[in-house]
Amino acid sequence: MTGCHDYHVTRRAMMGASAATLLGFSVRELLAAKGRDHEATADNVILFWNGGGMTHLDTWDPKPGRPTQGEFEPINTSVPGMQISEIFPEFAKQMHNVALIRSIAGTQGAHGRATYQLQTSYNQTSNVVHPGFGSVVVHEKEAVGDLPAYVTISGQAPRSSYLGQSCSAYFVGSPGDKDPYLAFSEGISEVRGNKRLETLAKFNGRFAGKTSSLELESTKTSVTDAVRLMRSPALKAFELDHIPLTQFERYGDTPFGRGCLVAKQLVETGVRFVQVNRGGFDTHSNNFEAMRNHGEVMDPALASLMQDLDESGQLKKTLVVMLSEFGRTPKINKDGGRDHYPGVFSCFMAGGGIKGGQVIGSSDEDGYKPKDRPVQVPDLHATLCHALGINPEKEVMTPLQRPMKLIDGGKAVMELFG
Amino acid sequence: MNWELWSTGFQSRKNYTSWESSIVARMWTVICVAVLTAMNSGVALADSPVDGAQLSQVLNRENGELGVKVKPVSLVDDTAYLRRVSVDLIGRIPNHDEIQEYLTWPAAERRSKLIDRLMADQRFVDRWTTFLADMLRLRSNTPGGSAALAFVHKAIEEDMPYDEMASRFISANGKAGAVPEVAYVLGDNADPMALAGVTSQVFMGIRISCAECHNHPFDKWTREDFYGFAAYFGKTRRYENDFTNTVYTQEATTSSVLWPPEGEGEASARKQVLPKFLIDLIDSKANPEFIARLETTRKNERDLIEASLAGAQKDSSIDDLLGDAADNVINSARGKKKSSFDVATEARRERDSIDLAADMRSQSELRRDLAALIASPRNRYFAWNFVNRTWAELVGRGIVEPVDDFSDANVPSHPKTLDFLADEFVAGGFQIKPLVKMIVTSEPYQRGQAVEFEPAEQEELRAAFLAAPARRMLGEVLYDSILTAGHLFEYKHPQGANTKTVSERIRVAVPREGEEGAVTPQLLASADGGAAMKGQMSAAMAAQRTGFNLESGIELNFDDVLKQAKEKATATVVVEKMEVKSSEELEAERMQMDSRNQRRFRYVYKTIERTFDDNPIFGSAFRMASPAAPQHFVRIFGQTDRTQVGVPRDHSPSMRQALMMLNGKMTHEASRVGPYEPMHNLLVGKQADLDEAVRRAYLEILTRDPVDDEVDLAKSIVTDGDSTLEGMADLRWVLLNSNEFRYLP
Repeated sequence: MTGCHDYHVTRRAMMGASAATLLGFSVRELLAAKGRDHEATADNVILFWNGGGMTHLDTWDPKPGRPTQGEFEPINTSVPGMQISEIFPEFAKQMHNVALIRSIAGTQGAHGRATYQLQTSYNQTSNVVHPGFGSVVVHEKEAVGDLPAYVTISGQAPRSSYLGQSCSAYFVGSPGDKDPYLAFSEGISEVRGNKRLETLAKFNGRFAGKTSSLELESTKTSVTDAVRLMRSPALKAFELDHIPLTQFERYGDTPFGRGCLVAKQLVETGVRFVQVNRGGFDTHSNNFEAMRNHGEVMDPALASLMQDLDESGQLKKTLVVMLSEFGRTPKINKDGGRDHYPGVFSCFMAGGGIKGGQVIGSSDEDGYKPKDRPVQVPDLHATLCHALGINPEKEVMTPLQRPMKLIDGGKAVMELFG
Repeated sequence: MNWELWSTGFQSRKNYTSWESSIVARMWTVICVAVLTAMNSGVALADSPVDGAQLSQVLNRENGELGVKVKPVSLVDDTAYLRRVSVDLIGRIPNHDEIQEYLTWPAAERRSKLIDRLMADQRFVDRWTTFLADMLRLRSNTPGGSAALAFVHKAIEEDMPYDEMASRFISANGKAGAVPEVAYVLGDNADPMALAGVTSQVFMGIRISCAECHNHPFDKWTREDFYGFAAYFGKTRRYENDFTNTVYTQEATTSSVLWPPEGEGEASARKQVLPKFLIDLIDSKANPEFIARLETTRKNERDLIEASLAGAQKDSSIDDLLGDAADNVINSARGKKKSSFDVATEARRERDSIDLAADMRSQSELRRDLAALIASPRNRYFAWNFVNRTWAELVGRGIVEPVDDFSDANVPSHPKTLDFLADEFVAGGFQIKPLVKMIVTSEPYQRGQAVEFEPAEQEELRAAFLAAPARRMLGEVLYDSILTAGHLFEYKHPQGANTKTVSERIRVAVPREGEEGAVTPQLLASADGGAAMKGQMSAAMAAQRTGFNLESGIELNFDDVLKQAKEKATATVVVEKMEVKSSEELEAERMQMDSRNQRRFRYVYKTIERTFDDNPIFGSAFRMASPAAPQHFVRIFGQTDRTQVGVPRDHSPSMRQALMMLNGKMTHEASRVGPYEPMHNLLVGKQADLDEAVRRAYLEILTRDPVDDEVDLAKSIVTDGDSTLEGMADLRWVLLNSNEFRYLP
């Protein structure tokens, strides 16, 4: 049984799951009832994907006093001795909940191949497409409630590939905006729309004997799911109309801030995996101006999100991760930019069983190489698997009957779990 | 050029000097196009069956030999055949007029007449360009990708033999866009390892890519085999010129494919690998019947052309032939004036390339050798692969399945039928149209589905091609069929009749304190979904701008793309540069703009009213830049992103598909009845005729009359509506959303 809306297998178990929600079980109780989750420290993931390759030196791994430092100073955080860049003054106050990894040893320096590896754990090859990590999660974890288990905000998620289209991400273009495909077309009232649906079911019932397609049953299921989603009260989690203005302001009132607000609402509703995309990190020129801008947008949103998740208790079960393709060159180029640099870079992880306030590994004094505790890219995915109670070694069969491991090797960074 | 390759009779003349042979080759460019044109005009050159009767016999005989005992399902009726074959040949369901006319033809010649008409339809070219684009993984968003799509379109239109087309893709070198075929090599960044795996799988159905890293687990391929094959691509390099913004390929003097593989043994011990082909071709001493017939076919082609040339260009010098005069030669050879496969330009370009000695434009010698081996009539895998792919596309199941996995462990279910298809394809000069025609006129294509049987029997019947499998329309076909049934290719409402005022939430940027700057309102949501409103905006851009415009796309004008590519390489470059941006990059740019603005501005929300004429029209999905944006209708319905080899279209249903069909703008607009439609007069006014209206709805959407109690049921739906127009919209919405609409009869 998987959490994907897999239209090729029986869905009785899943129907059971949603019935249970209706009967008044909370999300948490429902998950606790599933024996397989016993090792998991996290139920949900919010992944921040920073497209373009975010500089590690100007964010999580400052190099004060070195020629590679650049324009920013490090600042103190809520954890003594743990410093980050000045562009995150508010987020710095949340570092007691956040673990940094400063010794990721990347191997891919091109956007496409690096994105592929960071998002799938696998290196890109020409003969097989590997599913994104979010698809792996929703393939392995039971879906909860009516909402799609995997949502991507403000950008594309990687493909679900052999895990099937049903494990692919639900796309939200502009967070807070209503998805017009979730309501009857303009001018079609609820009554009329529902009548149309009834007639459609009748017509499809008559047609059932006229084709030998094995897919007809799953077409029906897809319509049932679509209608259930359209009618679900949980859809409110995609909307921000009810959010008070002060809350928008706290998050910075930006598309990114709205993305964070929607992500928070989605994980509270039981959505397993939310990817929040943000681009513009490919800072070949004017790195510092760009990063200062990014800081102004990201800092209030990230800080508020961490604070809110922490206060509501949701952070205990929600893993918050920020990843990017690679770091950037310690040497600042003639255009005031930094170029692609996979040799060493950083990320943060928080919540979902991660012990905050610690730094894993370090880079050398100028940020060129891992100094100690190098972490390979698949180690990151193995770590996420560990938190989610997913066996990374598990094999799934591709449609061409090739067995594939969920994750391309890698060892969980156990220090993160305290 | 490698026209020699497809002209087997010509291969013996290898003792020309290189200059001579290139001139002769270019003459052949001219000649062959003229031959093809002559073929188009109805002159039979090839001795090949044009109907499927013989194919049916071969299959039936083979089923007998295989001990198949089940009785075949009968052939579908005439209207079901019309729907099925229209979808397969022109990529949409037939419209009302086409159905009516078809039914007036004498029953005995109905199907063959229909085939001829559909084959001549411009949409045949569109539909089958998509087939080849999927197979070759051509992508508008890669360097030269659009030009390559346009090239294939033109090649199908002009009946370029498939062996020639394949050879060109395999061997081309040059600038992206200016040499359209080079998109194939650039699509994999000219990486020898990737191209080795892709080329063997795409053109021969042989999977060797596993052998890049380890000896193949289920097959005979070794790593040495893989490296030997990859060596054909070893000297090809990809270059980017930042100054001119061009991407091109060029041959280096040394190979980058080295043995032993990287990291295994001393670096200094690694040696360049010599190219070695994977399989043995049919011995040159053997002369199977289909090769003799191919030689006859091509001799006929040459004779015809030589006769035309003799009459047309007695006084022409070679230079004339290669220059502007070529146009005249061709036009007189084919007896009409029409733009051709641009032979003159082609010839000029080739002449220029000699004058300039620009090796950048020349073909790769190694890959030319490779093309000669792959596209040889003596390479069974080459023909098997293509006929099997074509068969699978039309019949719904390959004789070898998956279609790109020919191996000892995965043998054909009907080897003799496969051989027959391949023999006829080769003997007829590698022509795609006759192959398609042979299949769609054969019994296996025309069989009904085995609905009344148990699943095991159904499978037995389908495996023996004695029953048709259920097939869903391709995403593009579904899109175009909704447009056809819903009259959305043209305006169906009078101008201004659907004027609407909508409220829109607008975000207005206000400068932050201490900042100055222009205030630009930003549209957050847009109510119109019409393609016409979007102009040049790509679906990806539109989707990001408004979040949800996922049903319209950017149209590719194939003729313009090719013209631009040939006339002025620099013009193409600009286009390509725009196209080469991925949705992620566009997203990143938008975000960056946003973040700059965010620093200087803060936003306030305003609700404004906007008035527009909601009278949308849509263009064909087959003419969109492809692949479409990731969340676009055709992608949700199975179009792949064409980046990976061997990933077939996924035809399984999903919730997103359901949402797009139930609530999408396109289904909604297709359901509404417009005054310019014939349906309108059947519902309102003096000539209103409810029975006829219902009948028309069924014909337009399902290509059949309503049966039994369907008429009464449908009438009650129409009369239950707020008006008969609205009621008809309800009926049409239901029919368009029904399974019967998207699954073929």
